[in-house]
Amino acid sequence: MRIVCPFCGERELGEFTYLGDAKPQRPAADAGEEAVYDYVYLRDNVAGVMSEHWYHGGGCRAWLKVTRNTLTHEISAVEPAAGAGAAKVGA
Amino acid sequence: MAGDQTNRLNNGGLIDRSTALNFRFDGKTFSGFKGDTLASALVANGVKLVGRSFKYHRPRGILTAGSEEPNALVELRSGARREANTKATTAELYEGLEAASQNRWPSLNFDVMSVNQLFAPIFVAGFYYKTFMWPAKFWEAIYEPAIRRAAGLGRAAQVPDPDHYEKAWAHCDVVIAGSGPAGLAAALAAGRSGARVILCEEDFVLGGRLLADGGTIDGLPAAEWVARAVAELTAMPDVRIMTRTTLFGVYDGGTYGAIERVNDHLPTPPEHQVRQRLWRIVARRCVVAAGSIERPIVFAGNDTPGVMMASAMRSYINRYAATPSRRIALFTNNEDGWRTAETAIAAGLQVAAVIDARPDVSPAHRSLASKGGFPVLHGAVAGVDGGKGGVRKISVSLTGGARAEVEADGLAVSGGWNPAVGLTSYHRGRPKWRDDIAAFVPDGAPPGMVAAGAANGAFGLGAGLREGFEAGAAAARDAGRSGNIGSMPVADDEAFSITPLWHVAGKGKAFVDQQHDVTASDVELAQREGFQSVEHLKRYTTLGMATDQGKTSNVAGLAIMAAVSGKSIPETGTTIYRPPYVPVAIGAFAGHHRDENFHATRLTPSHHWAAEQGAIFVDTGLWKRAQWYPRAGEKDWLESVTREVKTVRSGVGFCDVSTLGKIDVHGPDAGAFLDRVYINAFSSLAVGKARYGLMLREDGIVYDDGTTSRLAEDHYFLTTTTAKAGLVMQHLEFCRQVLFPELDVQLTSVSDQWAQFSIAGPKTRDLLKEIVDPAEDLSNEGFPFMGAREVKLRGGLKARLFRISFSGEMAFEISVPARYGEAMARNLMIAGKPFGVTPYGTEALGVMRIEKGHVAGPELNGTTTAGDLGLGKMMSTKKDFIGRVMAGREALVAPNRQVVVGIKPTDKARRLRSGAHIIPKDETPGPGNDQGYVTSVCFSPVLDQWIGLGLVERGRERIGEVVRAHDPLRGEDYDVELCNSVFYDPDGGRQRG
Amino acid sequence: MADFSWDIRSPLDRALTSGPYGAQGEAGVSLTEIRNFGLVQVMARRGKAGEMAKAAKAQFGVAAPETPKAVDTADATLIWSGPDQFLVLSKGGKHTMESLAPGFAGSASLSDQSHARALISVSGGKACAMLAKLSSIDLHPDVFAVGAAAATSMDHTSVTLWRGKDRADRQSVFNLLVFATFAESLWHTILDSAAEYGATIGHSEELA
Repeated sequence: MRIVCPFCGERELGEFTYLGDAKPQRPAADAGEEAVYDYVYLRDNVAGVMSEHWYHGGGCRAWLKVTRNTLTHEISAVEPAAGAGAAKVGA
Repeated sequence: MAGDQTNRLNNGGLIDRSTALNFRFDGKTFSGFKGDTLASALVANGVKLVGRSFKYHRPRGILTAGSEEPNALVELRSGARREANTKATTAELYEGLEAASQNRWPSLNFDVMSVNQLFAPIFVAGFYYKTFMWPAKFWEAIYEPAIRRAAGLGRAAQVPDPDHYEKAWAHCDVVIAGSGPAGLAAALAAGRSGARVILCEEDFVLGGRLLADGGTIDGLPAAEWVARAVAELTAMPDVRIMTRTTLFGVYDGGTYGAIERVNDHLPTPPEHQVRQRLWRIVARRCVVAAGSIERPIVFAGNDTPGVMMASAMRSYINRYAATPSRRIALFTNNEDGWRTAETAIAAGLQVAAVIDARPDVSPAHRSLASKGGFPVLHGAVAGVDGGKGGVRKISVSLTGGARAEVEADGLAVSGGWNPAVGLTSYHRGRPKWRDDIAAFVPDGAPPGMVAAGAANGAFGLGAGLREGFEAGAAAARDAGRSGNIGSMPVADDEAFSITPLWHVAGKGKAFVDQQHDVTASDVELAQREGFQSVEHLKRYTTLGMATDQGKTSNVAGLAIMAAVSGKSIPETGTTIYRPPYVPVAIGAFAGHHRDENFHATRLTPSHHWAAEQGAIFVDTGLWKRAQWYPRAGEKDWLESVTREVKTVRSGVGFCDVSTLGKIDVHGPDAGAFLDRVYINAFSSLAVGKARYGLMLREDGIVYDDGTTSRLAEDHYFLTTTTAKAGLVMQHLEFCRQVLFPELDVQLTSVSDQWAQFSIAGPKTRDLLKEIVDPAEDLSNEGFPFMGAREVKLRGGLKARLFRISFSGEMAFEISVPARYGEAMARNLMIAGKPFGVTPYGTEALGVMRIEKGHVAGPELNGTTTAGDLGLGKMMSTKKDFIGRVMAGREALVAPNRQVVVGIKPTDKARRLRSGAHIIPKDETPGPGNDQGYVTSVCFSPVLDQWIGLGLVERGRERIGEVVRAHDPLRGEDYDVELCNSVFYDPDGGRQRG
Repeated sequence: MADFSWDIRSPLDRALTSGPYGAQGEAGVSLTEIRNFGLVQVMARRGKAGEMAKAAKAQFGVAAPETPKAVDTADATLIWSGPDQFLVLSKGGKHTMESLAPGFAGSASLSDQSHARALISVSGGKACAMLAKLSSIDLHPDVFAVGAAAATSMDHTSVTLWRGKDRADRQSVFNLLVFATFAESLWHTILDSAAEYGATIGHSEELA
């Protein structure tokens, strides 16, 4: 498999590390145990298009959001994590 | 000097008659020519019997002339280079080649196990499983070893392969598999358009079937056209031709696997060269021009030596000028097979008869037969009379029921052609059936790939060139290349007619899969026993599961299955196709990564100095770390380690701790960031101070620990454990980029920038005063416990000094830029000499941390909480941090958790072992009474006995209790006392003093 | 008072043996370790990539690379090392943390990497063929031209790779920054890969 890193260009799979589903958002500090439990443990077992976190640790060290079809391995989009590089987030 | 090459024609062939090569087969010396394969050289020498079959030990000859060969497998080379199951049909001949036939004893001619043939009726599909069922324990001890001796193929070398293998990457616009007419035409079109092309050919000569079958292309004899095409391609700088290279697999994203047999054609690789190279080819487009494979017809005695594929016979005669037989019969069900009759006549051989299964034979072939004076028999071969000496007589059942016999010493068979659909089907593609050619052809392909020519079912020469050229042009266009592709090579299209025929009923064994000895009746039996799916048929009969992966047998097998189950062939379908297309040596996949190069190695800055000191090194992850430094007269490691510990506890010692992960945390929000990743606070840490920190996973379990120092308002220097360095960096980047992108913080690994040494012992300050500039205040007031700041060394070099202790002693860690690391070790030895300094290794480090009750890897084991480690009070209640919420879950704070506690045997002379289970004193060992286990042990020089740490249920409330250490692995059981985990200096006076 | 010397040792000091290596004849690959250099990592603070670029322009007279490229200045090479960050590689350590810090104050965070890397120059007619055994990157001159850079991996080890100007004999030049503690291990892998082409091994104090 090859992933087009938005910063480095197309690279082979060995440069990347897979983390998992990029959909769950870390709950706010006061969200309570149930919300955190869902965030930590509950995952969809997607057969099809899925948004995933990948780390380009063998390259530019950017975290990426990769849209991948788990059935065909086709990658339809790759975007950097919100805070990759010096990107300014929020106010 | 063809002298003894009794079956070599006087003229012709693509062999170099000026270069004779001697070789040995089963101890007998023969000669062949450069350009021969082992198989063609054996054919030229009249050798028909080359092996014994897998199960029945039947005599077998050469069936094919390519990588689909099921029978002619040999052990090639000898000693450490002995390679089992090598196809004689693809092994290039070289001077001094040694080969031995397989699966026979004591000799190929007289094989004791051929008695198995007498029992053949019972060796049916599933035989072993049906027969050797009782008693169960006999299976492993008696049945399996005996069966393995009797059934099998070649023997592995049993010693390490002395040759080197490597892996490499290649990149191109278009990769082409196969250099037959379609492949060459594709390469010409793509190359002319300016594309970067890689042309892979598994043979050592380019041309594919043109080498054996010739033809006329652009008005030129095929050989001449091939030479011109190759010359044109060679002149293109961005076209790379790779012979002896098989494209064996296709992977996601346009990545292809290929194996290059760089030096298999030589006795040993030249110095500095590899034997084989595994290529990962990244290509935008792939043209599969892998051709097609002629398929057998299944009839009784079809495995007799001398029965050969019709196209293989043409290869031996035309390409190698070697005659497999003198009087040939041909059994065909299609037009193409007749070429072998033409070839035989042209070579001056006799044609005994053509047995054609079709109702009609073309007038051209009728007149060929009458001119050649041989009969055309309409019907099918019903049996072969012959044995290890080869074919003698062929019995034919004629259409209409009559019988005929043909005397011949060779039988050429053509059951039609199967396009090589492997590559196009490796992504779970299912080929589709085409009635007109009675064969499966690709039905789509992985993205970027297309099949052309015979691999796509276009069997004619003209069609192959056309499809190849068009596919090559389209592939280049898709890759953005638009140069002038010139004119397409042109040739006539031959007619192709076929009447499908898979199996001729008759008496005697009729083999479908010759390598695995699977017969037509095995397939029928499997169907009767209820194996309906071809996948089940395959696994039950092992059809197609041998090293040839059923290249000559799969389609025939499923056709017979279809016939007996009353279904059509497309309804029956194929099994899933999986790479590799040809066997690939594990050594090639490993490449450079074997022995000491199994993985990359990291060396500490003082590594070479430590080696000079005679240090014993231990692998920890990728690192080599000094484990201890033996001195003359010390009888074992324990004596050295004990001496190192005692020297530190009474004087001073130092240890290279550069393996710790080190991360610069910069930015205005660095403190806030660390507050969120550690359970304790760091924003409140004063500049010039260090603090021990503990990190959790989001599920509340401890992840890592280490000290972090604040070097400036916006700069922290964070350390991780050696084991987790890379993972913590990844985790922190995740926190920075994904979880907390609003924080202005920057992370840089500086692990390799700093050589870091721990200096420990009551005389640490004395030693440091020698090294550090006298203006620096190292007193307890000037540099208190947990202080951290930059200092100047004597000579002006700047260093970072941290007053932290892992040993419980007065200790500092000192960092200098890594290229000074070795000088630092030497200078510490010089400066420490008056104080009796010793370097110490990871063992002494471990002893002192256990004596001090510090947790490390065995306790940070992915199941423990901060509370389990006795560090629960560090957890801040004033801030959110990773793992906070989940760490509060009921089970993680339950009072009966296994927590860290000290453990020592009640018998002071007893050795404590890690892994021993803790059982209450009067209980019987068992899962119900298991209360934990010993995690870390050492011999404590301070206490003069073995001590340890363990995770024990409610351990801290049970100090003083005597329990059982139960160690069934070592057969030990003894009493231990639970005690305070801090064995040494529990109030910490020494490290603060 | 004891007499100390603070000898400096490059990560390849022990492993590197100058002279020919591998196949005899004209060397296909030249391998040179460059030992005396300074290396500083410059990373923009949040929302300050523009300011960092301005500071770099002021400092070096040229724009710092914003894509995977290496840019030569009068006395340094600026090498892209990731989004909004670059490395300042300078001859003999001309640009240090101290000299760079004022210019980048507030816009970027600096980390000294001078001792964290070994610098190897690979050149020659077989440089590309040799690197193909180590690198998964396409090094064809149309794709990876002079000045192209990559943060990538070799033998599972992170490296920074960029193509320098061709040699006087028009052969390709590649530069490789390797983590210091991995350097010896990767060096042996490089030697294994170069052996069949024949190599000339040497070291130099200075950047070319």
